[in-house]
Amino acid sequence: MTAYRALLHAEWRLFLRDKVSLSFTFLFPLLFILIFGSLMGGIGDADARIGIVAPGDDGHRLERIAAETGRIQPYPDRGGLEAALEGRRIDFGAIWDGDRLTFLYDSRRSQENYAFEEVARGIATRFDLDLQGVAPVVRTAVESVGGRGTTKWLNLVVPGILAFSTLSAGLFAVSGHVTGMKQRKLLDRMIVTPMPRVALLAAVITVRLAVVYLSTLITLVTAILVFRLEFDVHWLHYSLFIPAGTLGAMGLGTAIALVVRQPSSAGNIANAVSMIMMFLSGIYFPVEIMPALLRAVSRAMPLTYMADALRYATGVMDMSAARFWMTTGALFGFGVSVLPVLARYVVRADRR
Amino acid sequence: MTGVVGIARTHLVTNLRERVTLFWFLAFPLFLLTILTAIFGSLGTPNPTSLSVSLVNLEPRREGPADFAAVVEEAFAHLGASDTHGRDPLFHLRRPAIGEDPQEFLDRERDAVRIGDRALLIEIPAGFHQRLDAAIAGDGPGAEIRVYTSGGRISSDLARSIVDQVVAAVNGRILSAVGRFDPSRALTVERASIGSSGGDPLYIDFLLPGVVLMAFFTAGLFGVPGTILFGRERRILKRYWVTPLDSRRFLVGFSIGHLALCALQFAALLLLGRFAFGARVGFASPTAVGFLLLAAVVFLAFGFLISSVARTANAGMAIANVLNLPMMFLGGLFFPIGELPAVLRGIMFINPVTYLADGLRASLGVSAATVPFVTTIAVPLIWAGVCIAVASRRLRWDVER
Repeated sequence: MTAYRALLHAEWRLFLRDKVSLSFTFLFPLLFILIFGSLMGGIGDADARIGIVAPGDDGHRLERIAAETGRIQPYPDRGGLEAALEGRRIDFGAIWDGDRLTFLYDSRRSQENYAFEEVARGIATRFDLDLQGVAPVVRTAVESVGGRGTTKWLNLVVPGILAFSTLSAGLFAVSGHVTGMKQRKLLDRMIVTPMPRVALLAAVITVRLAVVYLSTLITLVTAILVFRLEFDVHWLHYSLFIPAGTLGAMGLGTAIALVVRQPSSAGNIANAVSMIMMFLSGIYFPVEIMPALLRAVSRAMPLTYMADALRYATGVMDMSAARFWMTTGALFGFGVSVLPVLARYVVRADRR
Repeated sequence: MTGVVGIARTHLVTNLRERVTLFWFLAFPLFLLTILTAIFGSLGTPNPTSLSVSLVNLEPRREGPADFAAVVEEAFAHLGASDTHGRDPLFHLRRPAIGEDPQEFLDRERDAVRIGDRALLIEIPAGFHQRLDAAIAGDGPGAEIRVYTSGGRISSDLARSIVDQVVAAVNGRILSAVGRFDPSRALTVERASIGSSGGDPLYIDFLLPGVVLMAFFTAGLFGVPGTILFGRERRILKRYWVTPLDSRRFLVGFSIGHLALCALQFAALLLLGRFAFGARVGFASPTAVGFLLLAAVVFLAFGFLISSVARTANAGMAIANVLNLPMMFLGGLFFPIGELPAVLRGIMFINPVTYLADGLRASLGVSAATVPFVTTIAVPLIWAGVCIAVASRRLRWDVER
């Protein structure tokens, strides 16, 4: 117990001294939330911002129809509309010259234009009917049966970033921190003392679990306070998933440390693996818009399931409780079952 | 001269031998280009994705062509069939099996939508024809199609927008069938865009210059301090100074090696972009080459700046990490920047990446310049000057005792 306490103290101080780990654990997720939140906080808002140039009675009709699907901003001429589009004060424009309806887009927003074009098609169809004096006879009534009906894109991204923080902290705890100790021959010196390996592992795990929980909490609270996002956090689910996810990621880190011969390379591989997973697991781009092959790859990534589970725990997205517990249990089970391997093959003196 | 060439060669070969640098400076930009193009390059094209959708028609059959519930059902069923090119259908459509109770199917599939197993459920409710007839006669708000979605799921949002398009088309068909809408007088709709000189550029043409700059940026920000600071800590640099090589010639050789690495990054990205994704953008103009060179030099100078202010290699990597995110994402490398809070707008205005990305894209004709040409050169040059001035005063070649 004394060994554990001493190691816990040492681990904590080591963590605080390691500027890269500190910046990755606390600063990286915060910066990402602040930058992405500011850049794309509006995505997923129900209304697109539509600039309209449409004189006369028909113009009023167009404004009325567009106002049903978006927030409209009338402009006296095309020049004013183009300037607003250039400055991103509107998402796209509609120009009616009494004969033709022209939709104007910013070609640089190619990632979003497909969504704006769908809104525009809806407006054109309604306007077309209205010009001939008829109204739609079939309409849709939408009912949300799961999750929050008005979730923004950023609501989905935040739990994704929390999942990524959990994954990288767990991965680097082994393939980075432990392998780093091994490389610097610290493990050699520690193992010849009466300290049990279990005490070292327990200290590493305790510090990482506390740090990950704290860092994800700070990120979540920042997102809520700065961007006024709403989450319906189920604290029991959240508090159980974060440790389970961290342990599972440590298991993955152990696998990397076992496969990679050079201890110094383990951290680099873990870094590369986490970065590749981040792009393929629907953290920043929804899996649904990916091509079929990438969607299949995404389904093989543990981070995909971690992000979904955290979206469930934060009330952003619904899933079956069984699926959540299965994900949590699988990560926890994998992490715990790999611990003896970690103790035996990774936490040991370096080969001479 | 031999010493300079030797250092340049050593720097380049070391970077190519190291798996880490090879991954981050070469493989990762190629991966990013591939992923972003695969995802965003296909948006707006036919069937970029395939969605799992359920459909149930609770309205009893009506004889004759006025069975409009069947028209609606058929319109959605059409989306559930593979197209002529054999691509996946837009909807993987599920409907009640023969003899299955539609109400039971509805309840089960509603739950499947809730937990995310289906993107969306479409219900044509009982009484559809009655409400439709009333609407056609001008007496009623119209017949409803119920759409069940799962909030927070992008697949639900995507499927819903497709359903809206189908319903719009169905309205036209039904109103034409009852003689209320004349398709020959249909509206002429056109599409236009701003932001580039030659119409809508391909996404890859917009992305490629951004990824090239990102690759240069990462190599400068991480590669330069990595080599200098680790070299200093491991006393590798110290060994150079017992040779006839002085620090000035070392820096020249190091910079040439770095520029060669950037050239290699550029060549790899250009080949992938052109041959794998059909990029058409041409970098052969003197202005574009000038911007690429300027970018490589500015980011090299940033690397020297970090090397000069960081006391340890560890601190250098932490500084690079902190600078990396805001500079990269607030520089418009991957998407254009619009309205931002004052603080971030301030960062964007002083960020050399903003001006390099803007200038390079404008010189390539993939997007219109948003700032004057002189500014796109002056701001990065000022940064390069400041970085070199600070580095020349503070850069130390040996660890402090």
